[in-house]
Amino acid sequence: MRRATRWGILAAALAAVGAIAALAGTTGSHAAPAAKKTVIIGWAFDQAGQMAPFDNPALAAAKIRIKQINAKGKYRFVINTCDTQNNDAAKAKACALSLLGQGAKIIFTTCDVDYATPVVQETINRGKLAIAPCIGTDQMGPRRFGKKGKLAFSFGNVAQDEGSAMAEYAYSRGWKTAGLATNTRLVYFKNVVQAFDIRFRQLGGKIVDRESYATGQNNVQSAVTRLNSHKAAVYVTSTAFGELPAFVSGMRSLHNNTPILNSWAGDGTYWDTQNPKVTNYYCVTFASVFGDDPSAAVRKMIASLTAAGSPPGTGGFLGGADAIDGVYTAIKRAHGSLKGAVLAAQLEHFNHVAVLGSKVSFSKKWHTVFGRQYRVIKTQANKAKRVGLVTAKVLPKIH
Amino acid sequence: MILGVLDFQTLTDAVGLGAIYALMAVGIGLVFGVLRLVNFAYGQLVMAGAYTLAYTSAWPLAASILACFGVVVGLALAMETAVFRPLRGQSPAVMLVTTFAISFLLQAIALILDLRNGQLGEVAASLTTLAQPISIAGAQVREITLVELGVAIGALLLLALLLLRTTIGLHTRAAASDFRTARLLGVRANRVIPASVALSGLIAAAVAVMMTVQAPLVTPDFALRETIVVLVGVVVGGIDRLWTATLGGFAIGFVSGLINGLLPTDKTVYLPSAVFALVILVLLLRPEGLFAWGRRAAVPDRV
Repeated sequence: MRRATRWGILAAALAAVGAIAALAGTTGSHAAPAAKKTVIIGWAFDQAGQMAPFDNPALAAAKIRIKQINAKGKYRFVINTCDTQNNDAAKAKACALSLLGQGAKIIFTTCDVDYATPVVQETINRGKLAIAPCIGTDQMGPRRFGKKGKLAFSFGNVAQDEGSAMAEYAYSRGWKTAGLATNTRLVYFKNVVQAFDIRFRQLGGKIVDRESYATGQNNVQSAVTRLNSHKAAVYVTSTAFGELPAFVSGMRSLHNNTPILNSWAGDGTYWDTQNPKVTNYYCVTFASVFGDDPSAAVRKMIASLTAAGSPPGTGGFLGGADAIDGVYTAIKRAHGSLKGAVLAAQLEHFNHVAVLGSKVSFSKKWHTVFGRQYRVIKTQANKAKRVGLVTAKVLPKIH
Repeated sequence: MILGVLDFQTLTDAVGLGAIYALMAVGIGLVFGVLRLVNFAYGQLVMAGAYTLAYTSAWPLAASILACFGVVVGLALAMETAVFRPLRGQSPAVMLVTTFAISFLLQAIALILDLRNGQLGEVAASLTTLAQPISIAGAQVREITLVELGVAIGALLLLALLLLRTTIGLHTRAAASDFRTARLLGVRANRVIPASVALSGLIAAAVAVMMTVQAPLVTPDFALRETIVVLVGVVVGGIDRLWTATLGGFAIGFVSGLINGLLPTDKTVYLPSAVFALVILVLLLRPEGLFAWGRRAAVPDRV
């Protein structure tokens, strides 16, 4: 009896364990999926200041992209934001510290490297990854931030790549002579034209004139007048701000209808003048916002942004979405590690990695994207449309 | 050798720049004359005018320009009534800092208004056809250059007539010479100062119309740098007389244009360094002002 009781208790216990295990298995497979790993991204950006036209679209695109990724991936990305209030240095630094304090593992920053510096330094000094959606120079990385700059990357296009792509497009169009006008205000502007200069000559093109001007110097019209006296197949510049319509309308007012080729800085139609209208004007950019981008995913993103009340004015929004894709790929390749050094090592090995709009590459030397397929936009009588695609084959050495 | 390098094109570009800077100098000099106030916010009056042209670009041209003049003069008078008048008795340092504050305030407001569409900058379509060139002696002279020159000379002549032939002009000159004594003799500060401020607003509006011809994209910092350069020019010329201040404004624009023409075409990055080095040199040699012959600078507190 005593023996039988013992065996009975043991059998009952085993049955109970089995039942619990079965029940747990059932519940686990149907009611409670494995918890997603949360990744907090800190986004320090200029919400209503000078950089807002660049930062806001990038953030809006990133938020949409994150929703799409969260819906199907095993990670749950969360974006915490902080307004740097027109990139006030003290506020930007406080933003970085606040976001890091909220558990952010990766910090995104504004689209100008000078303004981004306080955020980047606070981030990389704590061993975290700093990402810019659209800085366009090779400064976002070790070149500016030294050894710790290994943790800093930009999903903007490095100016050398952009200038090279412009040269290849120009040469492919049969434009064998070019007149250059450099806006010396920004490193990005200068580097694009320098890269064009070198690559265009490598391809066999000839530079007939080199002019310079600067934002705020009131000398853009002098550069235009002098450039006008040199016949060329194309005039090349890289500029935005007030100098962009001044340059283009200045040239057309002189009855010179030579094609003008600009970088991403000249994307969009917000600056188009009515008299004279913008004609024979080209620029290269991340994506076409004029309804004719070749990528269905990009068109869908533009539709989502428009539906959300933030229609993009230039292709620069794509940097935000591409950066989220890039970070996501790096995390997956790092087996879920969020350590800055580990993610940076993964990013440095990016070689034609697919992101939303194109394929992007980084290297130990280049921490700003190269190899992106640019959309070439032509504006004729204030109507813009995509007329080509171009990818740079060579990164010219400009330093 | 320098004359050999300088061509007619460079000279006309330099004259055009000098003319517009001279006009701005008149506007700044007028207010300084009666208030002893260096109005750093002068550029924001120009900016406000340019934005008005942009936001009314769908209107008939005359109405748009009229609106520009109305907004700028109204804003100038509002500044005077709301801020400058209550602070009239304060030190020049307080007044100067106040104009800085107004300048930044107006820029911040412009930024908020401008960014409502998500893009920075509005295109002003005023007299853009004046950017067309006329060929003179082989140089492409834009029509706007001639207009700038004409308006600058015309405005100076009108101002001279106003100052020399009218009662308000006499009062203004008296106030600019010695405000305390002028008031004792019956000059009414609240009449002379608003008149000068309104005149300076009229000139700012004219500058806005002309600047947007060649720089049609208006941003919150529109005319900001020009104002700083003109303020330097006004001091270099001699700030305590309207004529010397105007000449100073013209000189800094003209010399900037000349240096821009003299520099190798791909080296204009050195333009500000060259101009401001020259400014320092001039101030070292003639601290009382380049055109203020025969007297020393004397800038007593006023009002």
